[in-house]
Amino acid sequence: MSLGDILDGSDAREVKRRERSAGPRRERRLLRRLLRPEPVFWGLFSAGGFVAALLLPIHVAILGIAFAAGWLPSRVLSYERVQHLVHLPLVKLYLWGLVALPLYHWAHRFRFAIYHQFGIVRWKRLVAVGCYGTAIAGTAVSAWVLLGI
Amino acid sequence: MSTGGRPRYPVYVPEYPRSWWLETGPYRRFAAREITSMFAAAFSGLLLLFLFALSRGREAYEGFLRWLKLPGVVALFAVILVAVLYHMATWFRLTAHIQRVRVGRTVLPEGAVVAGLVAAWIMASGIVLYFYIWF
Repeated sequence: MSLGDILDGSDAREVKRRERSAGPRRERRLLRRLLRPEPVFWGLFSAGGFVAALLLPIHVAILGIAFAAGWLPSRVLSYERVQHLVHLPLVKLYLWGLVALPLYHWAHRFRFAIYHQFGIVRWKRLVAVGCYGTAIAGTAVSAWVLLGI
Repeated sequence: MSTGGRPRYPVYVPEYPRSWWLETGPYRRFAAREITSMFAAAFSGLLLLFLFALSRGREAYEGFLRWLKLPGVVALFAVILVAVLYHMATWFRLTAHIQRVRVGRTVLPEGAVVAGLVAAWIMASGIVLYFYIWF
């Protein structure tokens, strides 16, 4: 291949920027570029990562391992006690955060795992909506369940 | 093809296989780190099932507790625990790498930040344990 062929191939692959008009629509366009939802989801991803790192291990160890192994006193997870605890509003808030925030952490990581690791580029927006939508749905469902206890 | 005096440069488009993350050790550990988020979300789902059973009355709740004692479920929780601990280790290392903590004119070494986060984890675990068992 000659240099001319290589340069022609590059030119063919180049994505040319569309000529955009100045004027009133330009401000709306710039505003839309500023007010993107990504930073919110990134912040929730970070919060979920801290919840998952600081709080999840002990919860998994207690609920999953210690209870089944019989290391807990029998009244710890009794129906009355848990009902009493979950009725406290602070506990409800805590449980809501414990359920909802790791979902955002998963959503962000899973979306970029699909994009970067599996190389699926075509349905970028659909994947993003699916991931964050699942997290939002989980948040709503957990709020509904907790308010109904 | 553009005419005119604009200089032309060849564009480098890297091509790599979709299984690039399986190739070297560091790539695989990176992929493992990303996968741990699925186990964290799985525990969120299990906690939601717990709350759902609680909301449906004593029968459903005690059935859920019986389900928690099944060996398959305990194995699942063991896998989740390992994944979440790996997430914690990588998350703390990452936070120390990203966040520079300055004291006056010096910057704390990364090990100090990790130690601080581990101390916070121990305290948080202790508080959760207290509320679970003795409150």
